[in-house]
Amino acid sequence: MNAGERLTDANFPAHPEKATLEGKNKFLGFWLFLGGETVLFATLFGTYLGLRKMHLDGPSGEELFSLPLVFLATMLLLTSSLTSVYAVLSLKQNKVRSLQGWFIVTLLLGLGFLGLEIYEFIHYVHEGHTFTSSAFGSAFYSLVGFHGAHVLFGILWISTLLARNWNRGITLANAPKYYLFALYWHFVDVVWVFIFTVVYLMGKVG
Amino acid sequence: MATHESHKKRSGLMDWLTTVDHKKIGILYLLAGGFFFLIGGLEAILMRIQLMEPDSKIFTGELYNQLLTMHGTTMIFLAAMPIIFGFMNAILPLQIGARDVAFPYVNAVGFWLFFFGGLLLNLSWFLGGAPEAGWTAYAPLSTVAEDTGVDFYVLGLQIAGAGTLAGGINFLVTVINMRAPGMTFMRMPLFTWASFVTSGLILFAFPALTVGFFLLMFERVFDANFFNPDMGGNVLIWEHIFWIFGHPEVYILILPAFGIISEVVSTFSSKRLFGYSAMVFATVLIGFLGFMVWVHHMFTVGLGPVANSIFAVATMAIAIPTGVKIFNWIFTMWGGQIRFTTAMLFAVGFIPTFVMGGVTGVMLSVPAADYQYHDSYFVVAHFHYVIVGGLILGLFSGLYYWYPRMFNRVLNETLGKINFWLFFIGFHLTFFPQHWLGLMGMPRRVYTYMSGQQLDGSNFVSTIGAILMGLGTIVLLINIVISASAKHAATKDPWDGRTLEWAMPVPTPEYNFAQTPLVRGLDPLYVEKTAGNGEMTPAEPVGEIHMPNGSILPFFLSLGMFVAGFGFIYANWIVAIVGLGGVLVTMFLRSVIDDHGYHIHKKEVEADIKGGRA
Amino acid sequence: MANHHNTTEPTVHRHEEIQRKLALKEERKHHNVSFVMMILLTIVAFFAIWSDKISDSFAVIFILTLAVVQVFFQLYVWMHLSHKGHDFPIWGMASGVLVAAVTVASLMAMIWTS
Repeated sequence: MNAGERLTDANFPAHPEKATLEGKNKFLGFWLFLGGETVLFATLFGTYLGLRKMHLDGPSGEELFSLPLVFLATMLLLTSSLTSVYAVLSLKQNKVRSLQGWFIVTLLLGLGFLGLEIYEFIHYVHEGHTFTSSAFGSAFYSLVGFHGAHVLFGILWISTLLARNWNRGITLANAPKYYLFALYWHFVDVVWVFIFTVVYLMGKVG
Repeated sequence: MATHESHKKRSGLMDWLTTVDHKKIGILYLLAGGFFFLIGGLEAILMRIQLMEPDSKIFTGELYNQLLTMHGTTMIFLAAMPIIFGFMNAILPLQIGARDVAFPYVNAVGFWLFFFGGLLLNLSWFLGGAPEAGWTAYAPLSTVAEDTGVDFYVLGLQIAGAGTLAGGINFLVTVINMRAPGMTFMRMPLFTWASFVTSGLILFAFPALTVGFFLLMFERVFDANFFNPDMGGNVLIWEHIFWIFGHPEVYILILPAFGIISEVVSTFSSKRLFGYSAMVFATVLIGFLGFMVWVHHMFTVGLGPVANSIFAVATMAIAIPTGVKIFNWIFTMWGGQIRFTTAMLFAVGFIPTFVMGGVTGVMLSVPAADYQYHDSYFVVAHFHYVIVGGLILGLFSGLYYWYPRMFNRVLNETLGKINFWLFFIGFHLTFFPQHWLGLMGMPRRVYTYMSGQQLDGSNFVSTIGAILMGLGTIVLLINIVISASAKHAATKDPWDGRTLEWAMPVPTPEYNFAQTPLVRGLDPLYVEKTAGNGEMTPAEPVGEIHMPNGSILPFFLSLGMFVAGFGFIYANWIVAIVGLGGVLVTMFLRSVIDDHGYHIHKKEVEADIKGGRA
Repeated sequence: MANHHNTTEPTVHRHEEIQRKLALKEERKHHNVSFVMMILLTIVAFFAIWSDKISDSFAVIFILTLAVVQVFFQLYVWMHLSHKGHDFPIWGMASGVLVAAVTVASLMAMIWTS
């Protein structure tokens, strides 16, 4: 049987994402990549934590951050993490339409999150908090912007994946790809949990 | 089983540009790394010529700074690491009985990213001058430099580093998922183990460097303020990030050399490696400790006695697993039937040389003493003893050892021994006097010294040594040319090998093993030889073999990064967007073009076996 | 061999299929519970700061703990680290977290000393 063939309920494996050697390799390789990403974000977090008080004449985090807006963004991303896990459940049951539906919801929530983040950044720039205004500004936009870039890349990724496989059902070739995207998206949410806590909530208490 | 007819055989240049075969990528890494090794070596000899006599005025000031920066950067990132990756690619899958690496396509991406990154960095020589802030690029020296040299450094290494990270993940997954039946973790050859641990270090050390380079790039190109004290920044952030990467990098370099030495010593002593499990444990422990010691590069920063003491003790602790290795190599030779081939000579030369580098390392790990040694030639002597005396001797040993497997020719032993003695004697002549130069107060990275300070003699000897090392390398080149024109191919097992890479005919078939071998113990080929079989028992019947298709996309993806690199260096956003757009397009093409590879028919495999080609 | 899978039998045993469905149902329940938990943890953290009633130093430790708990939900329930066959992913993440912790600690604690 060919890895590109549509799976039927009769021949559907328990773990379609790991049913081939290629799938197993992708699964493990991506997890290891996420381990490396952890260090990447940690370096950005460390830089931010080292420099977060250095706002000079510009506004401090305490003056800038609007918690309700960030709380809303957090809820959007958290919910999108849930919908992507629903999509993985559909994947395991060979329900391709339901998988597509949940991933589209994920995608829309991700777009909503990005919209809020862009709105927030524009607002900050008007307040005099820019990338070049101080060490705090540079570190803030690097950390939060890196995360935003990850969200954007995820949106491009899932869009391509859905469009390419729209009429193909679930196959042994695309099941690992869906699964990997879900892992990626959860990881992006994990990073955000720390950004919410360390940057925004801790920013309010100094 | 459906087969795919999309496979077309490519030949010549196109074959090399599109290959995803780990054996060919290994050769590409070795060639490109070897080329950069010659460039880095030339830069070193030019520096030694400048320092041969006091008050010399051949390569002064800025030019000297460029030479020393490019020598260090090239040797670490563009010579040593790619040559290591060359051996890992060419040998590691064979040693574990795999048909390929886990991600052949990503493997090609990794190579081309390294190649274009290295090219970008070296083009700086012709485009306004090379970087001159040292290979460590400390801020604010690197952030205030006016010309584009440091931009080439940041962008070139960022691109090459992305390729390295991809390679690291690839080898980790290969080792975990693709071992042949019976090849348990505790039966893996030491080179595979060392490569596995090195890949783990790459995975966790390189992301820090990636961020460091981003910050430095933002600082230079987009006027960020991470390292600018006037705007609230702090230069120590760069120093920490660089060494959080930089110290594991030292172990990334030396562990594969340990692996090579273990293979060579065991093979040419005709003995099983002494204390195999202790060797494995020591390798893992060195890898772990490698992450906990970076502050010893920053003892003189003034982090205080507590921090310095903690990191001093951690640093000294590394001497313990390293000592275990040294003793195990000696005990492996003890009572063995030693054959002093060129590979073995390099391995035997490695052991005392590396011990000397290790001893000065322990001296440097004492913070109080380090205040004296810091930034002197003593440090230069130390790290050249571990990197040249350790890593490079190990790589030479591996080259002579695995050359028949990689290139189907045996290198000439007489020339090999000339190569060894010239290089070995040259090495000690170059770097041993530098210990004294350092203790007498000669600072590193300074382009001249005055006469009458008792520095003349040692510097002169040092330069003579460097020229001998250069001659040794030229002998190697001659040897390679002679072997390439030799008529007869190597036999499949010229050294009476013990591990799986010697179980196939030469040239190695593109699918490596016609039938996946069954591994029945440590040193699997030796096990079969003593059992009277002489060759591996297959673990599966002859069947169709699935192969990945070649692709030109890795080349264009990396070319896109190369173009984008220029865009960022010259702050030309159109070029940057075109380059990054090219990268995205190749990624998009890769994901929408279905490519399930192709199959080699059972009949072809059977014909290969019958004809002695598999 | 392109595909190493063992699903060539034409029919899956009925009993096994029922078991698999039950397992998936159970999984969905776990996902929902952890979603509710994560929402609650986020709200608690938010109000711990928003209300301004808790002392700052305690609040910081408190919300960091909540974040760590939440991340465990993500990793172990949503990303299935609790399932079989995740030994190497756990090793990879644990090593990453270790290096990450050392990195953050050093950049926080060792750049402003005199």
